[in-house]
Amino acid sequence: MDDRRGSQPNPIKNRTTVERRSDRELVVTRTFNGPAHVVFEAWTKPELMKLWWAPKSTGVPLRSCEMDVRVGGRYRLEFGHDASESMAFIGKYIEVTPPSRLVWTNEESEDGAVTTVTFEERDGRTLLVLRELYPSKEALDEAVAGMEEGMPEQFEQLDELLVTLGTSV
Amino acid sequence: MTLTGMKKHVGVLEVAGLVTTEKVGRVRTCRLGPRGLEAEAAWIESHRQVWDARFNELDKVVEDLKRKEKVDGRQKR
Repeated sequence: MDDRRGSQPNPIKNRTTVERRSDRELVVTRTFNGPAHVVFEAWTKPELMKLWWAPKSTGVPLRSCEMDVRVGGRYRLEFGHDASESMAFIGKYIEVTPPSRLVWTNEESEDGAVTTVTFEERDGRTLLVLRELYPSKEALDEAVAGMEEGMPEQFEQLDELLVTLGTSV
Repeated sequence: MTLTGMKKHVGVLEVAGLVTTEKVGRVRTCRLGPRGLEAEAAWIESHRQVWDARFNELDKVVEDLKRKEKVDGRQKR
């Protein structure tokens, strides 16, 4: 066992990577400084999930978190500042293999992805790989395009500028 | 902004793929460009930031759980 207590007061932050690995697949990777069963636990107990799934920096709190983590069990994560403006993420677990694999569906829309998370332990650390597999290229494209709706203001301003330019240049 | 300044500005946007322009007669029309690649790269980066923020919090949870396990392990002995 690696037990150099105090040798890592400020462990170097591990890098998070995201890449589109194919037309239909998005892959997120990250290493954690702990064994797989511990990381797995943090993904499967609602009281732990609540502590990290909605970080303060994203600005939208997690209102409720219900997770029945077993094959066929459902989950419901609700985000929002109040009940009138909340957004729920729902789906069911289709594979639960502690401490190495977790698969669930995303059913808030018809084109939801299937999310597979694997936990691979090596020397007391865990490589986490999260794959989001969309039903079609179009579905992933749409998810990506949805982001542009998140930046309408800039584009609107640009549109306005271009209209002005178009008439004067 | 001066006309020259404007033209320069549009030129920069055009090079970045954000706009395309077309001159017909005296009028140059600008349109938002394809910017497909830029948009996807931006989306992936924003997605990465969300996961990164989550995982930084998850680091703390993992540390706590490890500490608890250590304490529990000692108590059992």
